[in-house]
Amino acid sequence: MSVTDPQPPAPDPPSDAAQEALHDRIAADSLTTRRDYLRIVATVSGGLAVGGVAVASGILHRHGDSDGSPEVKKIADVLPPGESLAFRYPGSEDRAVAVRLEDGTLAGYSAVCTHLACAVLWRKERGSEGELYCPCHEGIFDARTGEVTAGPPPRGLPKVVLVEEADGSVWAIGTARSGESAREGLCRQLGDDRPELADRLGCPGASARGTAPERSERT
Amino acid sequence: MTEDAFPRDPEAPEPARPPVAPAPAVPGTPAPSAPAAPKAPRPPAYTPGSAQPRLNRPVHERYPQIRPTSGYGDPRITHTGPGPGAGTEQEPERSSKLTARLTLALTVVIGQLWGLTIVVDEWMAGNTGTAWWGAGFLCLSFLVVLGLWLIDPKDR
Repeated sequence: MSVTDPQPPAPDPPSDAAQEALHDRIAADSLTTRRDYLRIVATVSGGLAVGGVAVASGILHRHGDSDGSPEVKKIADVLPPGESLAFRYPGSEDRAVAVRLEDGTLAGYSAVCTHLACAVLWRKERGSEGELYCPCHEGIFDARTGEVTAGPPPRGLPKVVLVEEADGSVWAIGTARSGESAREGLCRQLGDDRPELADRLGCPGASARGTAPERSERT
Repeated sequence: MTEDAFPRDPEAPEPARPPVAPAPAVPGTPAPSAPAAPKAPRPPAYTPGSAQPRLNRPVHERYPQIRPTSGYGDPRITHTGPGPGAGTEQEPERSSKLTARLTLALTVVIGQLWGLTIVVDEWMAGNTGTAWWGAGFLCLSFLVVLGLWLIDPKDR
């Protein structure tokens, strides 16, 4: 409205005064100067630096991080082909999923999406041999390797090393981080506490002593 | 005011002046025989300031809103009018430098956001050394922003 327009009559003085106050507040110059913005940006920058140091110090939980080597845990008596099983390993907060592919391959992964920590689900009808699928943002992981095949996740799923006994029971014996092979993960975790198993796996620096385990690894 | 507002050309012919009034009588001297002409009222002597004392107070008392850095008290105003550009911004690069510093700081913070994603990614993948290098990058970036903030001129 231009300043030359006639002012409409104000039947309700309080609301008119409120409108004028609102107009004044909107029309007023911003009280935040460029120097204020510079100070805010400097504060945000300091917060990011502190956050980076905190992350590097280990404030974030990684799947499988625990004191000492993880315990061996039986997760199923039998896992038929094409089926999956949700379990928690090694800690009670570490959600994991075990998958048996149609060709008999046994695979275990963290069930926490590396994008925004949604739950990863097994979808055997997707893809050629099934996929690990995150429904939050359409993240898709390869069921055989755990690597990202589509979607926004920045890295592959951490692994849970599974072995199968001769009677068909499935055991979890260790974990491996994203981008780490199962053997590297096991060597990292078992190198000191269980040298006989580390030696059987061929870990560098493992001692030659120890007895051979009876399980057959099929990861 | 004893002189004209405009200086006179010394080469110009002398203008006609009114007859000079006789000197006023001095106490203690004999009065002249000729009768004195009626005296014209003298204008009051010029004194700077006001007859009202409240208007003669210092500027910072009369106008508290005027800061030492406002208007002509601003040390940045070194060469304003008269002349072309009088009253306008005399040092436009000063404002430009502030905008440039803010832009650079924002760019650095965007780089820090990217760097933080790298730090998280490397930490979660188990590459702790790389994560620490990234944290160092974030701290150096913060020092850069701190420098951009602190190189502000100290005249305000």
